[in-house]
Amino acid sequence: MSSAIDISAFHGTDPVLAIAEEVFTAMIDGEPGLVRPWTGDVPPLADEMHAWVDVHGPFPGRVLVSTEAGTAQDLARALLGMGADEAVSDEDLVDALGEVANVVGGNVKALVADPHALGLPVVDRARPATRPEDLLHSLPLDWRGRLVEVGLWTLP
Amino acid sequence: MRALVIDDSRVMRRIVAGTLTPLGFETVEAGDGRAALDLLESGVEVDLCCVDWNMPVMDGLQFVTAVRANRAWRDVTLMMVTTESEHGQIVRALAAGAHEYVIKPFTADAIRDKLQLLGLVRQEEPA
Repeated sequence: MSSAIDISAFHGTDPVLAIAEEVFTAMIDGEPGLVRPWTGDVPPLADEMHAWVDVHGPFPGRVLVSTEAGTAQDLARALLGMGADEAVSDEDLVDALGEVANVVGGNVKALVADPHALGLPVVDRARPATRPEDLLHSLPLDWRGRLVEVGLWTLP
Repeated sequence: MRALVIDDSRVMRRIVAGTLTPLGFETVEAGDGRAALDLLESGVEVDLCCVDWNMPVMDGLQFVTAVRANRAWRDVTLMMVTTESEHGQIVRALAAGAHEYVIKPFTADAIRDKLQLLGLVRQEEPA
């Protein structure tokens, strides 16, 4: 994917940030949106959850959304219009984080030259195996004060 | 009016159904195109199908093609609701027989506007 997306070609704007803002505003928060670029040092995630989708084609890549399980639960509550005290089932938790990755990934796919297909979302507590040299773009986001990371990776 | 919401994400099905219900739709749900076809073949009658593209078992494009190939379902309105946003994909879906196309993420207003264009929801009266 690295030769298919050149973030620097977007004239100082980050297309992935624009996609993330649109996804969170439309699906989760409503206008004016509550997701911002993370400022300051990015802390390590505890009790991690990861969701990713793969873009197949001549420039295969992966769009990875990572956050903490508690944040993922709040994302699911917001997506489903649930109250802060309502319990989120494991099925809804996995499904909600996967759908966030799916929608972000689907829109990132449109930035890729000649994409062929978008894979189905995968959600796991373990970060998928990646090589540091394959990281194309990392975008730490502040959602309601919590860290949500979006990463674009090339796939070998 | 009855709508069939087809998406492999249960969360997304609930979001789409939650958008359609205030517009006057009763909703039924299916987790993939094959399950949706099974519902239609069992005699469930619907006016609208909201169809995700990327699903296991049978994807949305295959579902649209199958529905359009059956004259018994010629009056069913098909609206893709998907993350697939490339122009070529939209053309493929419309060529296969989809009537409208909504790209995720969407707002409730976007769904309502499309359904108004399709004549499935009344235009709002001017204040």
